[in-house]
Amino acid sequence: MSGFSLLEFIQQIINGLTLGSIYALIAIGYTMVYGIIGMINFAHGEIYMIGAYVGLLVITALGLFGVDSISAILLATLALSILVTGSYGWTVERLAYRPLRGSPRLVPLISAIGVSIFLQNYVQLGQGARDVSMQPVLTGGWRFGPEGDFQVYLSYMQVLIAVVTVAFMTSLTLFIGRSRMGRACRACSEDRAMANLLGIDTDRVIAVTFVLGAALAAVAGVLVSMYYGLVNPFIGFMAGLKAFTAAVLGGIGSIPGAMLGGVVLGLAESFASAYLQTEYKDVVAFGLLIGVLLVRPTGLLGRPDVEKV
Amino acid sequence: MNTFSRSALSAAVGAVILSLGGLAQAQGTLKIAIAGPTTGPVAQYGDMQMMGAKMAVEQINAKGGVNGKKLEAVIMDDACEPKQAVAVANQIVNQKIKYVVGHLCSGSTQPASKLYEDEGILMITPAATNPAITQQGYKMVFRTIGTDDQQGPTAGKYIAGTIKPKKLAILHDKQQYGEGIAKEVRKTVEAGGIKPVLFEGVNKGQTDFSALITKMKKEGVEFIYYGGYHPELGLLLRQSKEQGFDAKYMGPEGVGNKDISAIAGPASEGLLVTLPADFSADPANADLVAAFKAKNQDPTGPFVMPAYAGVQIIADAIKGAKTEDAIKLADYIRKNSFDTPIGKVAFKENGDLKEFEFVIFTWHADATKTPVK
Repeated sequence: MSGFSLLEFIQQIINGLTLGSIYALIAIGYTMVYGIIGMINFAHGEIYMIGAYVGLLVITALGLFGVDSISAILLATLALSILVTGSYGWTVERLAYRPLRGSPRLVPLISAIGVSIFLQNYVQLGQGARDVSMQPVLTGGWRFGPEGDFQVYLSYMQVLIAVVTVAFMTSLTLFIGRSRMGRACRACSEDRAMANLLGIDTDRVIAVTFVLGAALAAVAGVLVSMYYGLVNPFIGFMAGLKAFTAAVLGGIGSIPGAMLGGVVLGLAESFASAYLQTEYKDVVAFGLLIGVLLVRPTGLLGRPDVEKV
Repeated sequence: MNTFSRSALSAAVGAVILSLGGLAQAQGTLKIAIAGPTTGPVAQYGDMQMMGAKMAVEQINAKGGVNGKKLEAVIMDDACEPKQAVAVANQIVNQKIKYVVGHLCSGSTQPASKLYEDEGILMITPAATNPAITQQGYKMVFRTIGTDDQQGPTAGKYIAGTIKPKKLAILHDKQQYGEGIAKEVRKTVEAGGIKPVLFEGVNKGQTDFSALITKMKKEGVEFIYYGGYHPELGLLLRQSKEQGFDAKYMGPEGVGNKDISAIAGPASEGLLVTLPADFSADPANADLVAAFKAKNQDPTGPFVMPAYAGVQIIADAIKGAKTEDAIKLADYIRKNSFDTPIGKVAFKENGDLKEFEFVIFTWHADATKTPVK
C-alpha cells in the first residue's frame, strides 16, 4: 500500500455517500413501520426489488419509444414505480398485517416473511431467475485534480442520486412535520390506542405508512437500476438486510436516524473496502452495528422507549 | 411431492422402455447411458452433449458397430439437479447399463459418480470441470474436459509471460470455483516473478465496486484477473470504465458468455477470457463438422466434441481390450491413448486428461470472441 492520499479519501467519501443514500432510502421504510406498529416489515426488501424491476422495465420501454430526455425518463419512471410499489406496500399491509392486528407479535412477523418469499418467487416466475441488465442512461461526470495523476471523479448519476434522495427526504420530513396526516402518524407513533380513542383512523395511518415506505423503496430501486443497471429477483434480501442495519444503527423508529444510519453504513463499507480488504466490508458494517448498540442500545438518534406490549 | 412423482414416473417409464427393449433388442446391443439435462435451466448444454454422443453412436454403428454389436444410446434426464442425478444413476444400475457418458453439471456428477464407482459402471463426463470429482480416489470415473485448476495456470502463464504488468491485482468471488482459479493464477504468476499488489475477495451478488476500483486506480493497477462469474465482473468492468479506470481485465470460462456484454456493454470490449479450444475449427474434424452441418446441428458448442469423444473412447476400449467388463475397460482406458475429435487423449491415474488445452480469447462488446494471436 502506498501512502494516504487526500484525493483518494475524497473519492471514497463520494462512493460511500452514494451507497449510503440508497441504504437510507430503504431504511426509512423499516423505521416508519416500526415507529408506528412496533414491528419489522420483512417484505420491505422485496418491495425495493420490485421497484428496481419496474424502474428497469419502464426505462427500457421509454428507450424503445425514443424518449431520451433524462428528466422525462426520471419523472415517468419514478411516478410509475412509486405507483406500482405503493400498491404492493398497501397490499402487504392489507393481507399480512391488518388481519393479524392484535395477535402475538410473532404472527405478523412470520406472515411478512411469507409475503417476502412469495414476492421473490412471484417475480422469479414472471421475469425469470436470470439477471436483467440495462445500459446506463446517464453517463459522464466531472473530474477534479491534477491531469495525469489520480483524479477525483464525480459522475452526474452520483449527483442525481444525492439530489433525488435529499428531495424525497425533505418532502417526507415536511409531510410528517406539517401535514394533518403526518400529525396523525406522529400521534400513532406516540400511542396508537390513545390516538384511536381520540378519533384517528389508525388503520388508515398504518396503511399510509406502508405506502410511504414502499414509495421511498421504489425511489431507491429506480436509482439503483439507473446506477448499476443490473437487477435479479434476489437483490431485495441483501439490500433489505443492509437497510435494516442502517435503521437500527440510526435508532429504529427515528426518521433522521435512518438517514444518518444509511450514510454512516455506506461510508463504513466504502472505507473498509478502501483501507482494509473488500471482503471485510460487511464485517466492518455489522461490527459497527454491534459496537454502537453496545454503547447506545437505542441507536445513534433513537430515544429510550417504553417497552411495547 | 413433485420430485417424488417425477422420479416415480420416470422410473415407471424406464421400466416400460426396459421391457420393450428386452423384446425388441437383438442378442447384442451395447447400451450407453447419456446422462445430462434435457430439461431445466441449463438444457441447452445438455443438447450439446446429446448431439455429440448421438452422432458418435450413429457413426460407429455405420462402420459396423463394436465387435459385431451395435451401440444403443439411452438418454437420461437429470435436469442438473443432484437429487434427480442420483435417481437417474439408480435407474442406470437397475437397467444393468455398464457405461455412462455424463453427467454434465459438477453438482450432479459428484453424487452420481459414487453409485457408478460402487456398482462398477464406467463413467466419462464430457463437461463437469470441478477438480473434486476426480479427487475421490475412484477407479471408474473419467472426464474428457479440462478442470478448473488447469485454467488458472494457462491464464497465469499468459499474464507473467506476455502481459508482464507492473502492477497486477487478483480478485475473486470467494466461491469454490472463483477463489480456486484465482489462487492457481496467483501461484503461477508468483512462479513467473510477478507479485500481485492486491489479492481480494468480493461478495457474490455485490453490486457496488466503486470503493475497490478507487483503491486500484490509486495503486496504479494495470491488469486485473477476476476469478468468478459474469454478473460481478460485468459490473466491475462497467464501473471501472465509468470511473475512468482503464486497466485490462481477464477471467475464466465462467465469465465468457454473452451476458457479460449485456451487463458491461462497451466496457466488455477487450476483456481476456480462457475457454476450451474450439474443436470444430480443427481441420482434422472437417468431415465430422460437415456431418453435423448436414443434420443442421451446431458443432461449435463446448461440450459437443467432448461428448463424442466419450462415446468413442468407450467403443475403442471395448474393441482394444476385447472385453465388455467395465472394470477391465477402466484399466485399459487408463493405460492407453485414443484418437478423438478433441485430439489424442490419455488419462492420468485419477481419470483426468493428461493434457487439455484452454485457449485465451479476446472478448468483444458484441458478445463475439477472437483467439489471441
